[in-house]
Amino acid sequence: MWKEIGDREMGKIRPNSFSSQIKSNRISNLQLSNNKDIVSPHRGSVNSLQVDLTEGRYLLSGASDASAAVYDVQRATDYEGNGLIAKHKCLFSVDKQHEKGHKYAISSTIWYPVDTGLFVTGSYDHYVKVWDTNTTQVVMSFKMPGKVYRTAMSPLATSHMLIAAGTEDVQVRLCDIASGAFAHTLSGHRDGVMTVEWSTSSEWVLITGGCDGAIRFWDIRRAGCFLVLDQSQSQLGRRPPVLARSAANKVNVSKSLSAGQNSLGKQRAPQKKVSNGHGMKQSTIGRMPTNGSVRQRLHPGMLSIQDRATAHYGAVTGLKVTDDGMYLLSAGSDSRIKLWDLESGYNTLVNFEVVRLQTSKAIQLAISQDSAQVFVPCMTVVKAFDVWSGKMSLTFRGHYESVNCCWFSSQDQELYTGGNDRQILVWSPCQLITDDTDAGRTKDEDNWSD
Amino acid sequence: MEKGKKRIRENEEIDSVADTDANNSISLDQNLSFSDTLVALQMMRAQFPQIDKVAIQPFILQSQLYSSVKDRTQVDRELESLRRDKVVRIFKLNTGQDDHGIMFLDDYLKQVEHVVKRMEEKKQGDLEVFKWFKAHVIESKLEPSIGHQELYALLSLGGRVKDEHVSLLINAGLLTRQLIDPNMYWFAIPNIGSILKGLSQGRKELLSLLNRRRYKEMMLAPLEKKRLRLSPLDMRFHLRDLIGSGHIKTGHTPTVLNIRLMEDPRTIVTQSCDVAINAGWIVLDERRSCRRVSLIRSCMPLMSYLRGDLRCSFTFGVVAYRSAESYYQS
Repeated sequence: MWKEIGDREMGKIRPNSFSSQIKSNRISNLQLSNNKDIVSPHRGSVNSLQVDLTEGRYLLSGASDASAAVYDVQRATDYEGNGLIAKHKCLFSVDKQHEKGHKYAISSTIWYPVDTGLFVTGSYDHYVKVWDTNTTQVVMSFKMPGKVYRTAMSPLATSHMLIAAGTEDVQVRLCDIASGAFAHTLSGHRDGVMTVEWSTSSEWVLITGGCDGAIRFWDIRRAGCFLVLDQSQSQLGRRPPVLARSAANKVNVSKSLSAGQNSLGKQRAPQKKVSNGHGMKQSTIGRMPTNGSVRQRLHPGMLSIQDRATAHYGAVTGLKVTDDGMYLLSAGSDSRIKLWDLESGYNTLVNFEVVRLQTSKAIQLAISQDSAQVFVPCMTVVKAFDVWSGKMSLTFRGHYESVNCCWFSSQDQELYTGGNDRQILVWSPCQLITDDTDAGRTKDEDNWSD
Repeated sequence: MEKGKKRIRENEEIDSVADTDANNSISLDQNLSFSDTLVALQMMRAQFPQIDKVAIQPFILQSQLYSSVKDRTQVDRELESLRRDKVVRIFKLNTGQDDHGIMFLDDYLKQVEHVVKRMEEKKQGDLEVFKWFKAHVIESKLEPSIGHQELYALLSLGGRVKDEHVSLLINAGLLTRQLIDPNMYWFAIPNIGSILKGLSQGRKELLSLLNRRRYKEMMLAPLEKKRLRLSPLDMRFHLRDLIGSGHIKTGHTPTVLNIRLMEDPRTIVTQSCDVAINAGWIVLDERRSCRRVSLIRSCMPLMSYLRGDLRCSFTFGVVAYRSAESYYQS
């Protein structure tokens, strides 16, 4: 460590690489924190965790007993064990007793991305509520047609304040905080939508993963989705060179590509359901029994509904976009984690050695800032995998029951995990106890001291 | 899941692939891991056991590949490039745990020929659809599944296609309907049904064999010599498969390799439900505030093919799951 500081001083290492080396060293030392503890008031399993994006100071958690709580993770509320262990109690919590609180489990809690004055909760009682943090009152409330599985707001948005809500209904709804009404709905999924994420590279792109196993990309300014990820379309490695890519395209004659071309082209195709990219489907040679499917007139942008490509063999339970917006990690109930290259829409075939993942609930993945490590809750442990090779590097074993959510704070290199055992655990790089005892040492009771 | 480190032995030369007798006598201990996916595929194809009752060409399971080559990402990528070069074909098997079977393309075509010949003997309808299938569908569609419209389009390149042709293909075992989506078909290896049944029975038998031991482990050498009662496939096949899917792992004693059952055994409730969900037999119905499990109608005839105890455990699993879920406050 000192050698690195010396090199930095001499100018041998650039500042970015110096800080990323230190960060990755600290990440490889993560273990159950011996000096920090979060006291969770929840009496149900913790379903969602998020640290606010502006300051990295406040942790918001939502639980199955309809309670949501906020903690300050940088300043402890009190100290125990001779000043060694910092206890972080919740600053406030809202639960069923609150006059407008949720009635059933809260599945998703997120901060308003601009500041910590508002937070949004989505719950199984079909409501999405926006709360004012300082007064802990409900400011706005949206009724959904089904249980809300996940809510998301775009961290990049400057021109809209839309909450995307994924419910057990097949349509994804966008709720507008500014007007208090629904903006529009996105249809295309064939089953409930379990995960919703906004893209980190564009404020208009929303990514949803459904219980039908499909991952769809929506540009909210247009109708229909512009990309459906297909697990059979893959590329070897990060990105093939241009010539190899065009050869691969010829081999995989696929509907999703044609759907993509279609909606990007935005032609005024004749409304008789045949359009250029869909020659494959509309072959008129030979009688074609439709198996009960009705031929309908579809808007060219909505032809993506007919695209049935799946990204996973089961439901998609977790999605995470990397910070640079170039890759997407998806976890499915088929116990597979896949890494997708967003530019080309292909599966990069990185194999993450997962034996078993939770299938009934959505899980929250976390990724480190330089996209090198991904933290995945696998049943009762959280495993850290190297993103590019798929090898497991760390295992965090501490929860008594299944882990539902995790959040990695890249500012302090700390990992917060919440699970069915109602605990929120903190994992931090190990700190030397001697540092603290130096400050706390009272007297030097040696024979030779003066 | 931590796997014990495997000792990497010298890889067999590819010349010895032809010598099947020698390969059968080499124990698993010495060729547990390979450097390359293609080498692994060829070696395992050569080691495929001879089954008397059913004429089947050798196939390899993807979990076997994972246990043989260290880097799984490399396996996936090499398999993908082999698939694109039309050297192998990948099939999704219905043994319910996201299994994929890999077969060399020549072997698959031989298998198809065999089935066509048998159908010719029985004189069941016009068989030109098999020629169209081979010429157009297998050549151009390399993925394990195909949609109804696309199938029609590709077959029409050969001639006028009728519904009966598709039924012929399904009867021959070349295609199976997907239970989740009525418009999609899986490609399947014909004549493989009894072997797949033996595969799942053999897996259970091997796992129960280890489970009955006091410390749930056994030395590799005597384990290999045992014969499985319920499965036509040999012990080495099952061992590779279970190591790759993570149910057992190899560990080291100072002199020999031993096999140990993985900790965290699944409970029978979630296991039977997972099997059923992955096979597409049941769907979780999210109406009202608790989850219901509903059987898809078309799978009722398939239930009769389930082995007795799997069916019992499945039913038990469904009942227990239902009662657990109505109490589970999620």
